[in-house]
Amino acid sequence: MRLACALIVGLADLGGAAAADEHVTLRFVSWKPDHPQVWEEALARFTHEHPNISILREIAPHSSTAYHDLLTQKLKNRDATVDLFFMDVIWVPEFAAAGWARPLDHRFPPTEQRKFLPATITAGTYGSRIYGIPSRIDGGMLYYRKDLLKTYGFAPPRTWPELVQQAETIVAGESAKTPALRGYSGQFKQYEGLVCNMLEFIESNGGRLVGADGARAALATPASLQAVRFVRERIIGRIASRALLTYQEPESLATFVQGNAVFHRNWPYAWEVANDPQRSSIAGKVGVTSLPHFPSGRSVSALGGWLYGISAYSAHPEEAWTFIQFLSSYGMQKYFALRAGIAPSRTALFSDQALLQGRPFFHDQFEVFEGTTPRPRSPLYPAVSHVLQRYFSRALAFGDLDLAAEAASADRQIVDLLALTGATR
Amino acid sequence: MSRRILLGIGILLTVVVSLFPFLWFVVTSLKSQRHVEAVPPTWLPGGELGFYRAALVDYHLTDYILNSIVVASSTTVMTLAIGIPAAYALSRLRVSGKTWILGGLLGVSMFPQIAIAGPVWRILDQIGGLNTRWGVLLPYVTLTLPLVIWILASFFKELPTELEEAAKIDGCGPWRTMVLVMLPLAAPGIFTAGILTFIYAWNEFFFALLILTQPDKQTLPVGIALFQGEFTMPWGELAAASVIATLPLVILVLLFQRWIISGLSAGAVKG
Amino acid sequence: MTRGGADTRTGLSDQAAWLMLAPALGFTLVFALYPVVDSFLLSLHRILLVLPDQEQAFVGLANYRQLAADPVARQAFVVTLGFVALSTILEVLLGLAIALVIHEQFRGRGWVRAAALIPWAIPTVVASQMWRFIFNDQYGFANLLLYGDHIADYVPWLAYPGFAWMAIVLADVWKTSSFAGLLILAGLQLIPDDLYEAARIDGANAWRRFWHITLPLLRPALLLALLFRTMDAFRVFDLVFVMTQGGPGGATQVLQFYGYKALFTEGRMGYGAAISVTVFLAIFVLSLFYIHAVGSKLMEKERA
Repeated sequence: MRLACALIVGLADLGGAAAADEHVTLRFVSWKPDHPQVWEEALARFTHEHPNISILREIAPHSSTAYHDLLTQKLKNRDATVDLFFMDVIWVPEFAAAGWARPLDHRFPPTEQRKFLPATITAGTYGSRIYGIPSRIDGGMLYYRKDLLKTYGFAPPRTWPELVQQAETIVAGESAKTPALRGYSGQFKQYEGLVCNMLEFIESNGGRLVGADGARAALATPASLQAVRFVRERIIGRIASRALLTYQEPESLATFVQGNAVFHRNWPYAWEVANDPQRSSIAGKVGVTSLPHFPSGRSVSALGGWLYGISAYSAHPEEAWTFIQFLSSYGMQKYFALRAGIAPSRTALFSDQALLQGRPFFHDQFEVFEGTTPRPRSPLYPAVSHVLQRYFSRALAFGDLDLAAEAASADRQIVDLLALTGATR
Repeated sequence: MSRRILLGIGILLTVVVSLFPFLWFVVTSLKSQRHVEAVPPTWLPGGELGFYRAALVDYHLTDYILNSIVVASSTTVMTLAIGIPAAYALSRLRVSGKTWILGGLLGVSMFPQIAIAGPVWRILDQIGGLNTRWGVLLPYVTLTLPLVIWILASFFKELPTELEEAAKIDGCGPWRTMVLVMLPLAAPGIFTAGILTFIYAWNEFFFALLILTQPDKQTLPVGIALFQGEFTMPWGELAAASVIATLPLVILVLLFQRWIISGLSAGAVKG
Repeated sequence: MTRGGADTRTGLSDQAAWLMLAPALGFTLVFALYPVVDSFLLSLHRILLVLPDQEQAFVGLANYRQLAADPVARQAFVVTLGFVALSTILEVLLGLAIALVIHEQFRGRGWVRAAALIPWAIPTVVASQMWRFIFNDQYGFANLLLYGDHIADYVPWLAYPGFAWMAIVLADVWKTSSFAGLLILAGLQLIPDDLYEAARIDGANAWRRFWHITLPLLRPALLLALLFRTMDAFRVFDLVFVMTQGGPGGATQVLQFYGYKALFTEGRMGYGAAISVTVFLAIFVLSLFYIHAVGSKLMEKERA
């Protein structure tokens, strides 16, 4: 998430005199990749196979919100220089309804779609059409201190109350040795990540964020309220520092890799960081598993990840598709998984022996990825998300707040928002 | 004498409170990564310059600096070019509804940015000004004009009329009179107005955030507000970037404190 | 400021004057006045940027009715008003103190004045990051100062709604008190020294001189500082954007930030415009009130 530089990386010989009959340059908006060489090699391979297509990468900010604002601004401008882009899974309804992304059904028929993890296909679909091709899968998972759990004779927790109990025991036992140690670290600042964290609590108790038909209360139901109350009364300020209310991914991961948290909720990328001795004081002592659930529920992981989309204003959809096909092929997903640790979106790769040998981690994670759950889907998702963020943040920050009334108010606001979009369909 | 003691305390408090919070950032920028992450924090830096190198190179701060220099200087030049004749006309020439115009300008300087942000964005969208340096210039000039005109108008008004009359007798028109006679006399006022405009444009964040979404076009405030590390919050690099962004302003203040103070109070109190 | 005179003396043609004014008026018209009108028109429509096929229906005052019933807007309104009230009062009081100090004659006064100006000159975004760091739960200076080595006592300031709000107020007070001080200083300099001399001869002590001479004569300057600070505090955005993003629990979500999110992240142009116009009207009404107060004070002074 570096301060993004907008160097435009020309990877093909742009002055290329030895032109095929028609040379096309595609502009691809993406973030600065965590593994630049891996990407450069991939693109070089592509231009080698397709000498008539060169790729110009435009590097956008790594923060999802800043990226969103930049990209949508270009699309509002009908900027014809953008051909294809990465979409966050939560943007698809917005991009589809606004007419910014092209429907890709004829290029990406159901027979192809079935080869991908169902959650990622759902994420790319809006209405009855598909707009995004899954490049990877992301989901929330539970990291834990293998060494500490072993010392105290615990198996990784299956339920949230179990997690709280283990955390209490371990923190109490370690207080002399590591006074800064806390039980849990996650993302609870008033921002998008808060929605993911709370979704995992609520839905693993059988609750929901938004009613199935978009017109009914969901937050004010007993299951949802109970989960929120649990976070408020058992986690924030109890087994976890209240500072979590100001933490996004970087701060919460820093706490974990400094050895100051027993449990940590994060995305798959945290695995590499936590096990890198350069950046982590707990390398080799980290375990990962599915997030816990409430006794009556099942484990839920918020779906994250990125999809390839083709701009409605692109003059080269054919070539853009060729490029997407290349990047999302079995071979290239395997390449990205092996070289950069990016979790593939193709189901078959999770039983690919060569891949599992290189990255045994994916074997453990498959279960998590199968259980990923999308956030509410609406073209007005940014507005819905703001309501959710505020509700959760108020619930956690104000200890004496009347939760039921607050939830009912948030429900009403969400129903009103969703009604605005209903008018068009 | 208690009065001297009181004054001494006042001076001390003014200086300490004004400078200390920023000094903490300066101290942080000169630490090493290990010291920045120390809990409790260390009081003194080791004098390392690693964060400055990282901010300038890894975080491409040089691009942001360049953008800020271009935007702030061109805003200054353009606002003065437009503001000087306007102030001259309002203070020395016959203009009906003068009071209304000056009052209206004062009103504009108090507009909340949000009240004009949406439509300004739409105008820039239509004329292709988004993600361009000149696009951000247009609202900047608009919002700095009132202060510049007020400062310069009060300055022009103080100047003696004899020279102007002599120029008129020599057959100079209003433009020539303004440029040849009044401008040299008003140089200190113009300088003051210029500094204030520069500082405004250097520091402005709201419109820059809306208009400049492309990282290679963004100015320093946007870069610093959106400063994020890959895996941790890079406080050391951020502190270094902040010191770099603030340095030109500190120099301006140290050199031209007198002008700035007179400029800030001129627009307001002489009315 | 326009006591006339000059124009009749030179008697230059109106045409040239208007030509000189034209660019400035043009800019103001296109990029300030038209946008305000346009914001008002937008606020009467339902416009959702992400649903371009939807008719941009004229909805009258529906957006304003919705705004009045919106609990988020209400909280933002209260948060903003509280912020404006507390920060401007503190700024004018501190500004007065600063002005009294730097008005005195002493060696090194230039340096002290420059030091007082530094917070004003620092970009607000930088000041925001700086205060965010000072209130950091682990590396912050506030905790170091208060608790030293007792890291178990360290407080995550920005995680408490009340403290987070106070932190924004504090950052604003730090950043802008010196500006208020300068406006007040200009007022101080207008008070003739012989008034003090006369009072001293009459045996009035320093406190009485301050209370009976300085303060009454400073009133216009104080009101002016209050006016400028109020208008400016209403526009607070940078501090919130950087320090808290409106959290926790919306405790620092000011109107201008709420409007920004509605307009530019959610794409609700009509509703966002209604928020904008409301902020504009609030400032407009307040400034009329102040200008009335300042104006009548000035008139009293002239009559006296």
